[in-house]
Amino acid sequence: MSIAPSAPTLKDYRGDVNTWCPGCGHFGVLAALQRALVNLKIPPHEVINVSGIGCSSKVPEYMRSYGFHSLHGRALPIAQGAKMGAKDLHVIVTGGDGDGYGIGGNHFLHAVRRNMDITYVVMDNGVYSLTKGQTSPTSPLGFVTRTTVYGNKERPLDALSVAIAAGGTFVAQGFSGDVKRLTEILERAIQHKGFALVNVLSPCVTYNKVLTYDYYKEHLVTVEEPFPTREEAIRFVKEHRGLVHGILYVDPETPDYQTALGYELRTREIPEGPMDEALLRELEEEFR
Amino acid sequence: MELAALEWKVGGQQGEGIDSTGEILARTLFRYGYYVTTYRQFESRIKGGHTDFKVRATPTPTHFHGDKVDILVGFDDETLPVHRSELKPGAVVILEGDGTKVTEEDGYTLAVFPLKAIATELGNPLAKNMIALGITGGLISLPREAFYHFIEEQFKRKGADVISSNKRAVDRGYEIAQEHLAHKVKTLPAREIDPNRLYLSGNEAIAFGAYMAGLTFLSAYPITPASEIMEWLAAKLPKRGGAVMQVEDEIAGITFAIGASFAGARAMTTSSGPGIALKTEAIALAGESETPVVVVDVQRAGPSTGMPTRHEQGDLNHLLHAAHGDFPRIVLYPSSVEDAFYLAAEALNLAEIYQTVVFLVSDLGLGMNKQTTPRFDPRRVEIRRGKIVSEEEAKALGEFFFKRYRLTEDGISPRPLPGNPYAVALTSSNEHREDGHIDETIEARNAQMEKRMRKLTGLRIQNPFYVDHPDAATLLVAVGSARGPVEEAAAALREEGYDVGTLFLQQLAPLPVEELRTLLVGRHVITVEHNYTGQLLGWLRRHLPIHEHSTAITQYDGRPFFAERIVREAKERIADEHRAERAHA
Repeated sequence: MSIAPSAPTLKDYRGDVNTWCPGCGHFGVLAALQRALVNLKIPPHEVINVSGIGCSSKVPEYMRSYGFHSLHGRALPIAQGAKMGAKDLHVIVTGGDGDGYGIGGNHFLHAVRRNMDITYVVMDNGVYSLTKGQTSPTSPLGFVTRTTVYGNKERPLDALSVAIAAGGTFVAQGFSGDVKRLTEILERAIQHKGFALVNVLSPCVTYNKVLTYDYYKEHLVTVEEPFPTREEAIRFVKEHRGLVHGILYVDPETPDYQTALGYELRTREIPEGPMDEALLRELEEEFR
Repeated sequence: MELAALEWKVGGQQGEGIDSTGEILARTLFRYGYYVTTYRQFESRIKGGHTDFKVRATPTPTHFHGDKVDILVGFDDETLPVHRSELKPGAVVILEGDGTKVTEEDGYTLAVFPLKAIATELGNPLAKNMIALGITGGLISLPREAFYHFIEEQFKRKGADVISSNKRAVDRGYEIAQEHLAHKVKTLPAREIDPNRLYLSGNEAIAFGAYMAGLTFLSAYPITPASEIMEWLAAKLPKRGGAVMQVEDEIAGITFAIGASFAGARAMTTSSGPGIALKTEAIALAGESETPVVVVDVQRAGPSTGMPTRHEQGDLNHLLHAAHGDFPRIVLYPSSVEDAFYLAAEALNLAEIYQTVVFLVSDLGLGMNKQTTPRFDPRRVEIRRGKIVSEEEAKALGEFFFKRYRLTEDGISPRPLPGNPYAVALTSSNEHREDGHIDETIEARNAQMEKRMRKLTGLRIQNPFYVDHPDAATLLVAVGSARGPVEEAAAALREEGYDVGTLFLQQLAPLPVEELRTLLVGRHVITVEHNYTGQLLGWLRRHLPIHEHSTAITQYDGRPFFAERIVREAKERIADEHRAERAHA
C-alpha cells in the first residue's frame, strides 16, 4: 500500500468500510473491477470512478481512486464531462439498472452513440434495492414488488440489444457469480478505445428472489468470441432472452469521441494571471 | 438642418432580411462615429410573422435603444399600425406599396414606393432593403460610400454581380430621396471616430469575456435567447484545445460541465429559464460537492415556455432560490454589454475560488442586442483558479485518502485535480466527512454545512452596483437591460427638477447588504423591473428594512421599457410617497 504506487496492489484500491448486504452480487463486481485495474497496472490516481445513486453507485466509496459519487441517473454525463477535462485518465462509471436505464435512459442512449472512451459497468439486479424493493427497468414480466403488487406489466429493457443497435462499440455481459470471467471482460472493456458497456448480472439477495445466483448458473449461455456482426449478436441475445455471458460485440474501427474531434484537448491548461492582451485585441477586430 | 441623433426602425415579415438591413445601417452609423444601440423583436417561428429592428445613433454613450422613431421603414402592413405611436413629430415613414405616393399625414410624412418592383427592374428583387437603406442615407445625407463597404462584406461570397446590383439599389434609394423627399432631407454630421470602441451584443460579450478568462469547456442545449453564446464559442474553443458540446438535454448541459470542472477544465453551461428549471438538481450537486460551475441564464418571458422570443426578467426568484437544501451560491447580473464581458470573466474566477455555482444572469434585451461599448481592459479581471493542490503540497500531507473537504477557516478546501498522484480523493453529493466518504453523524453534517456556508462571507465583486446621484430623495433601482431606459428616465426627471438618482445592482447574491443599507434605507426606492411581482424589490425587502418607502414599476408584456413610461410612473410614485409622508406627519 502506498499513496502513489507504480505497480498497484489490491490494497491500494481498498476503499471505505462496505455496507452492502452479505451475499450481495456487487461484491463480485467490485472485486473484479479492482483486480482488472491491478492486472492492467493502472494506479488509483489514474482512475476516475463516477457513480450515480443506489447500492451499486457506492463503488467510489468502497474502491479507492478519484471518485465522484454524484446524482441519480446523471453519472454518464458527469463522467463524459470528466473525460473531456482529464483525457488521459481512465474513466469508469459504476451504477445500477435503475440509475442507468431508468432515470438515466436518455443519457445512456446518447453516451452509446457518442462513443467517448469510458467504461460503463451496470450492476443489474432487476430491482430497486436502496429504496427497499420496487420494480426496475430490467425486472422480469410478472415480477411482484411493492410498486407492482399485481405483477410487473412492462417488459424488461434489453439493454444489450439497445446498445448494440445504437452503435455501441463494445457490448458485454458479465455475471458477478463468475468473478474470473468478469475480470477478463472488464480488462478488455477498460482497454477498449471507446464506450464500453458491461452489463453485469448481479443478484440482489434481499429483494429479488427470481434473478438469483442459482437461476443464472442454470440458464446463462457463454459467448466465447464476440459476434462478427451486430445482427448476429442481437439475434443471439434475443434467442437466449438476455441470459448470455461474455463479450457480444466489438467494433474497434469507429473512432472514440476525442479522436473524432480531430484535435488534442487541453481543457485543463488554463494559465493564471492577466488576460492575453494580444489575443484580446485580435478578437476585438470582429466587433469593430 | 442638422440632426443631433437618429432613431430608425425597420419592420417586415421574418425572412425578409429585416435583421441584416438593420445591422447594415447600425454598423454603418457605428463606423460613422456614432454610439449605436439596437433592439430586435421577432416571433418564435422561422419565416413569416412581424419582426422589427430598431437602431439608435447618438453622439454620446447610452445603454438604451430609445423610445421614438425619426424614420420608419416598413415592408409589411403591420409596421405602421404597430409603431405609429412611436413616431416623432415630422417623422418619415417609408412603406413598400403599389405605385409612388408621398403625403403629409397627422404629424408625419408617409412615402409609399414600389420598392420590390424597382429592385426587380434593377435585376435583383431581393435588393429592396438596399433601396430603403439608400433612401434612409439620402434622408440623413450620409455619404453613399458608407454603405458600399458593408455590401462588399455582406455579399462577398455571392460574387461581383450581387455586390454591384446591391450598390445600384443603394444609389437608386438616394435618387428616390432626392426626387420625392427633398423637403425632408436633413444632415447627420460625421463624427470623429474613436478607435477604442466596439459594437457587440450581451451574448457576444459573455462569450468573449468567458473566452478571455480561460474558459475551456462549454456544454449546453440550444435555447433562445442563449444559443448565440454557445455558437460563438463553438468556433473559438477548439483553437485552444477546448471544446463546446451540444449535448442531449439541459440536464446533460450542466452535468457535463460539472464533470469537466471536477476534472480540471474551466467550465460553463448556458441556457434560459425553461432550461435552468431542468438544471436545478445539478445546481444543488455543485453546492454539496463543491464543484465550480458557471450557469448563464439569458432570461426570456415565462412561465413555462412562455414567450420564447420576448424579453423578461422573471427568473430572479428562481435563480436566488433554485434547488433544494441550503448551499452557497453567487448570482451576478451585468447591467450593460461592457459589464457582461467582465462579469463573465469574474464568474469563472469566483466559481473556482469559492468552489460553487455561479449564476451569470442576463436577459433577452441585453443578450440579443448590440451596443457601442468601450474596448476591453485585459488588466481589469485577472485569471485566478483558487486553491488547487499541487503534487508537492499533496505529497507533503501524505494522506492515503486526501481530505477533499478539509475544514478550513475560510470555508474553502484545497481541491485536487484527478491525476495528482498524492491526492486521491472522493467528491460527493452525499453528506460526507473531510475525506469525502459518506458520513451522516451530527458532527460531520454540522461541520461540513457550516464550512460550506462560511465561504461566501465578505464576498464582494469589483462593481457590485453602479450608483448615480446617491443622495437623491428617490433612487430608481434596476438590473440588466432595464439600465438603459432607467438612466434616461432619471436624466429626464432631473431635468424637470425631480431629485432622482439611480442604482444598478450587479451582485445579487450574496447581496452587499451593508453598502446597500447606507444607500437605500430611509430613502424612497423604486425598482424598475420586467416581471409581474417585483422580484427584485422582494429580494431587497427581504434583506433591508425598506418596506414602507419602496415600490416597483413593473412591465411583463415581453417588450422593453419606454423611458417615457418610467418617467410618468415615477412621478406618480413620488407623488404617492409625498402624500403618504404628509399623512404621516
